[in-house]
Amino acid sequence: MRASSDRLTVGRPPVGPIQAFLEALASLRRRRRLIWYITISSLRGRGRDSVIGNLWWVLDPALNIAIYYILVVVIFARSEPAYPLFLFAGIMPWRWLSSAVSESTSVIRGRASIMRSVAFPTITLPASTVLSGFISFLFGLVPLAVLYVIYPERLTGWIFAIPLVAIAQIAWTIPLVIFISAVSMFFLDMQNIVNHGMRLWFYATPIIYSAEGLRKIAADHPPIDFLIKLNPFLWIIEGYRDLIYAGRPANWGALLGITLASLPVTFVLVYVFRRLSPYFVKVL
Amino acid sequence: MLRGVGVQYDMRLSRKRRLRGTLTGKYKDSEAKKFWALRKVDLEVRHGESLAVIGNNGAGKSTLLQTLAGIITPDEGEIEVRGRISTLLNLGAGFEDDLDAQENILLAGEYLGIPHNTIRRKLSEIINFADIGKFADMPARTYSSGMRARLGFSVATSVDPDVLLLDEVMATGDAAFAEKSRTRVLELMGRARAIVFVTHDLEAAEKFCNRAIEIDRGEIIASGSPAKVIADYRKRNSITGPSSLGKRGARIAT
Repeated sequence: MRASSDRLTVGRPPVGPIQAFLEALASLRRRRRLIWYITISSLRGRGRDSVIGNLWWVLDPALNIAIYYILVVVIFARSEPAYPLFLFAGIMPWRWLSSAVSESTSVIRGRASIMRSVAFPTITLPASTVLSGFISFLFGLVPLAVLYVIYPERLTGWIFAIPLVAIAQIAWTIPLVIFISAVSMFFLDMQNIVNHGMRLWFYATPIIYSAEGLRKIAADHPPIDFLIKLNPFLWIIEGYRDLIYAGRPANWGALLGITLASLPVTFVLVYVFRRLSPYFVKVL
Repeated sequence: MLRGVGVQYDMRLSRKRRLRGTLTGKYKDSEAKKFWALRKVDLEVRHGESLAVIGNNGAGKSTLLQTLAGIITPDEGEIEVRGRISTLLNLGAGFEDDLDAQENILLAGEYLGIPHNTIRRKLSEIINFADIGKFADMPARTYSSGMRARLGFSVATSVDPDVLLLDEVMATGDAAFAEKSRTRVLELMGRARAIVFVTHDLEAAEKFCNRAIEIDRGEIIASGSPAKVIADYRKRNSITGPSSLGKRGARIAT
């Protein structure tokens, strides 16, 4: 008892990048329940006050898909076979990313009062954003069952490998959300920048069109081809599409590659976050 | 045993570098907009002491408290706090609208870093003390501000902290609860833990504290027995009058 009470609680010396990273991991583990409660709260908040409440969780992505279906199939008269399923495999994971990223611009600022009254590891806030995005992604998978009723021939055992692709997506969502949540504390413009950036990124990623088509266009322009391949979400979306739509194994080598590539990025951005976090209260 | 723990603050916010522990707003780079919310503050609070911090609006009292709580990192000097801190700065601040009382207590406990088992054991005690009746099962968005504050107070004072930081909480809720919370705070003080109490309520400061400091423009300008410091403060204020008070109050809003 004595030891714990004697502990130095405020005024610890600053630490280097590696300790800062380990400290962040430790505080995420120690405050896992905090992350969980904030996540529950934000998930509940999403369904409240609307007439059909939690049904929006399913309806939202369904309407999203319907709009792109009308746009591409009816208006542009271009499509892939079983296009709703094709769209689904692209849009569901994208919605997870974009909701997490757009929430991250306000996740810390929105808790100004607690930030001003309690010292706690701020990194738990972006962590809860990633988690709540993931959970609504899981709920969004429910309409997949309906699509497989329409296209039963597309259903294969490969759908059980979806969590593996989700790991690669989490690996990239975490550093992005952490970075944006920290930077948007200092620049209020981040919200606008992020909105437009996400829209640009959406169209640059093969979500409503196929990756093959994109590759064919890019093949004649090596620099563009290179840029396209740098986009981790190209590989992630293709991974989902292989499993859900094409019923074949994903490009596991590429997915492993981008997951590993996220580690140094995460490391650096967690450190940046840790260095910036003492200033959050001052700029609130 | 546990009671014998010495709680020591050692703040040397002066000498070498310049304090930027300031609320500089968004214009961090322009020198003109900077000011020291706290400056050259040397302070030590020992085990068993309860320190009253008085001063005009914007003097830096809350910043001092936030610095002690580890919410604000000093830009100059050092600070050391040994022991578990409980902060009663803004009651009910962390409550989420969509969680009920029990979940919010657990959440607040997590924010404060109270071990999960400890807070779980005290759940019913906290809810009873807060006296929120049948609202315990309702989401917090249905609570009145008084209920929120009561619940926040109950959580923050439910575990024995080594260091208790209070910011004007004596006025929580209605008269009945104010009496209850006063008793609770006195209890905590009685357990010989260090207390830093920021207040404008000079009577309370004189009654509850065994030491007082006065802060003005980020600096400690008086320190000593509450009776003396408060008497000086009263005297000086009637001289400087309300005009300078108003000016300083406009400088910062915390």
